[in-house]
Formats: sequence, C-alpha cells, structure tokens
Amino acid sequence: MAILPHHKYPLRSLEHVPTCHHPSWSRARVTCSATTTTSTKPMSNPDQLIIEPRLDRLVTTPSLLVTPTSSPSTSSRNTSPLLNDPNWLSTWSHRAWVATGCTTVLISLAKSMVAAANSHIWLEPMLAGYIGYILSDLGSGVYHWGIDNYGDASTPIFGSQIEAFQGHHKWPWIITRRQFANNLHALARAITFVVLPIDILCDDPTLQGFVGVCSGCIMFSQQFHAWAHGTKSKLPPPVVALQEAGVLVSRMQHSAHHRQPYNNNYCIVSGIWNEFLDKQKVFEALEMVLFFKLGVRPRSWCEPISDWTEETETPSPVH
Amino acid sequence: MATLTLPKHSLPSLLPSQTPRTPFSQSLSFVSKSSQSQFFGLTFSFSSNLPIPSSTPAKTSIVAKVNKGQVPPSFTLKDQDGKTVSLSKFKGKPVVVYFYPADETPGCTKQACAFRDSYEKFKKAGAEVVGISGDDTPSHKAFAKKYKLPYTLLSDEGNKVRKEWGVPSDLFGTLPGRQTYVLDKKGEVQLVYNNQFQPEKHIDETLKLLQSL
Repeated sequence: MAILPHHKYPLRSLEHVPTCHHPSWSRARVTCSATTTTSTKPMSNPDQLIIEPRLDRLVTTPSLLVTPTSSPSTSSRNTSPLLNDPNWLSTWSHRAWVATGCTTVLISLAKSMVAAANSHIWLEPMLAGYIGYILSDLGSGVYHWGIDNYGDASTPIFGSQIEAFQGHHKWPWIITRRQFANNLHALARAITFVVLPIDILCDDPTLQGFVGVCSGCIMFSQQFHAWAHGTKSKLPPPVVALQEAGVLVSRMQHSAHHRQPYNNNYCIVSGIWNEFLDKQKVFEALEMVLFFKLGVRPRSWCEPISDWTEETETPSPVH
Repeated sequence: MATLTLPKHSLPSLLPSQTPRTPFSQSLSFVSKSSQSQFFGLTFSFSSNLPIPSSTPAKTSIVAKVNKGQVPPSFTLKDQDGKTVSLSKFKGKPVVVYFYPADETPGCTKQACAFRDSYEKFKKAGAEVVGISGDDTPSHKAFAKKYKLPYTLLSDEGNKVRKEWGVPSDLFGTLPGRQTYVLDKKGEVQLVYNNQFQPEKHIDETLKLLQSL
C-alpha cells in the first residue's frame, strides 16, 4: 500500500518540526494541527474546497469502493449531498461488475464442491471455507485501517478510495442510500481480477473452498457494512439475526468505529477480529512502528479529526 | 471509547492480559531484570559470541543495565524550557524517571496525562516525576503546554541515557521501550516497570511502590 508522509495531505495544515535523528529510530517529525473549521459549516473553508472538486471529478470516473457523495449537477462549493443523489443509483456497468464478481466466486465454490464430491472429502474444503470467512474479516480490517489512516487523494492506485473512505466518515448514512450494485461494484471488480485466474488455474477443492468463501465475504463486505449502518427496524429480520449472532458485523460494533477516536473496530465482515485487534492494540503497535520507521502519523492520531466529524442529514442509527 | 457489544464468536485472547509486559515485547538488547516484568531476558557477556544489537559496538564494554537496588548512571539533559537538569538535582527525594517513546503519540499522551492527573499524589509522597524521550526541547515544550504537564520533560537526544540505563526496545527493536524507574531518596532504584501498551499502569505501579517507601 502506498503510504505518503502527512505533509502531502491537503485537508489540514501541517507543520514540520526539526527532525530528531536517533541512531535507532530516526524519523521526521510531522505534527498535524486540525483545521478550526468543522465539517458542518457551509463551504467556506478553503481546505474543504480542495476535496469537493475532486468529488465532482470522481462522479464521472469509476470509483473503487464508495462513489463520491456530491452530484455532478452541484456546484463545487456544495458540501452537503443531495437527498436523492443520482450517483447512488446502480448503472449497468455496476451491475455487470457485480455479475462478473459473483460469477467468479460461484465458479470457485462450485469447483470446490465438485472436486470435493469427486474426491470424497468434505471436511477440508469446509474448514478452508470457514478459515476464509474468518480471514476475510481480518483482511477487511487491515485494509480499512490502512485506507482510513494513510495517504490521501493523490496516493497512486488507492487515492480515490482513500478519499471515498473519508467521505464515508463525514456522511456515513449515504452508504444506506446506495443501490446494491453501486455499493459493491468496486469490490466486485477487484474480486473478478483476482479470482478469475484462480478459477482457471486451480482445481484443488480445499483451496477453492478457501478462495470462494473468502472472496465472497470480501465482495459482500460493503453490503454487510451498509447493513451495519442500517436501522434495526428497517433491516430484514434475517440480517438483524445474523448481526446479533455475530455472523455479520453488528451495528453497535461498527458505530463505535464512527466515534472518536476513530481507531478501533476496523473489521467489517463479521467483526470477529475487532475485540482481539483492539484489546491487543495491534493497530496501535503498527501505527507506532510506521511512525518510528517512516515518520508518518496516522490520521487517527490527529485530534480533533474535523474531517471525520460526521455531518448528519438524518440522525445516525445507533441501535 | 464506545462500549462494544461482544460478538458471540469472539476470538479468545491469545496473549496473557494480566502481565505487565507488552503483548509483543521482546528484547534484543541487554535486559534488565525487572521486578514487575515476567519477561526474563538473557544477560549477554561482551565476550560472548551471541548476536549483539547493532547499536552496541562489539568491542566496547557492556552497556550498564539499571536494575533494582542499583544507583543508575547520572545524566544531564535539557528540559522543556531549555534548562539543564541533572539527576543529582533530585537527590534526597524519591524520583520517578519514566522513559517513553515519543511526544504526541497516543500511548505517551495517555501516560503523560495520567502522571499529570496523579501528580498531587506524587507530590504528597514527596516524589518528583521526570519524563524522558528522544524528542527535542521544542517538542517537549509544545507537548507539556498542550497537555498542561506540571513536571519535567527531558530531551535525551540520541537516546544516550536510554541506552546507558538499558531500557529495552519493543517489537524487535522497532519501538523505543516504555520503562519507568522509581528511585528512592538515596538514589537507588526500587522499581523497574515495563509496559508499552498499557501506559496508565505505570502510574498505578509507581504510586503503589512510593506509598511503601
């Protein structure tokens, strides 16, 4: 993942302090000072002007994960998304990518089952599938942590996604307004490219079991994520049941991620890893290592994180 | 932090949660025998063929390890106001010397604020608190000002004192260690406490010891 020093991050003013040279832990000291403007104010902050034009640009280009929240018809000075933004609708391109993603996942699962039947083995592929489910949650957390804390819109490959994640922190409720394919198409595209070669080249039922379940969980993690932002009364009862059983990430757990200090509960498939990762301070340790080795501070260290302060158009679902 | 609803399929904690040591703590340097730590390191002899960390020149003598019962090497460092402060200044009263990784990092901020919040208790015990990191004077000044720290922060530029006292690093040498020493009125170490990721515990442990001095 590309990691850029925070002095390139445009949304807050940064100041460089003299570098402290340590024999063992040399690092550049970069402090972050949050802007004084809150995200609830209308567009008057030049810092916020920086992000809006990018969001407008992103409207016309495929986004990787979360499409931008402003409509192309709004001016570049408009911060608040429209109530029914056409950008939240699914397009045929979105649907096509979701279809291909699902196809590759289904092929993987089908190959696993057929090969397992032919070989008369069931335990290993099923166990591999379960491990895939478990590890997909860990993977979602690590990726989410990285994207949330490092880089910015100009980061190669991940830039648009980083910006989209920050937009999600500012307007978390929008994910519940997006149509299905609109929400998933970016992940589906990535899954297609990764899983298709495995489908073609691999015939091992255990490996395909792992790949099929893991990739399926990753692809649908955005849907689980959207459900985690939903309101209990509006969610399908089976979804609520799965959330409460811990099979899918719960609304309560994920809402903690959207509160200060925004440094926990990164996993969004089942959330099963969250307690362990947070209790063992795994991400905090990684952040410290990256700070001492590369001199980069994660965004979650900067308080108050005005860029992540939620701007709610409707009350946030908390139950 | 938010209260979490624990998922039904929580993973068990793989690491002991009650020990004072860090979850991934491993010392590559000469390890002090901590009275609180359950981590028993090896003490290397300078004549041994065992791998020695690159920060320790092979031909020099062993870096002194400050253990309980010893008088640590003195130091003279600059505080957050640029004034020179020596360890000898604190002779005659207990002093808590805590080494921490860096200013403005979450753990160090928690630790600093915890020392601040309990500072009256330290004063009541007649003790001084001194924080040491490799950050420079301007960094300490800003850090102390931002969090209204009432005690001394010293700049150990080059981490010389850290090495002299043998503060072990963490995570395979990638992180400066978080270790606290309590010196009694005679200047002898009565407690060595190491815990990277539970910084507030340093305050509890040191206060406990001070109250028994």
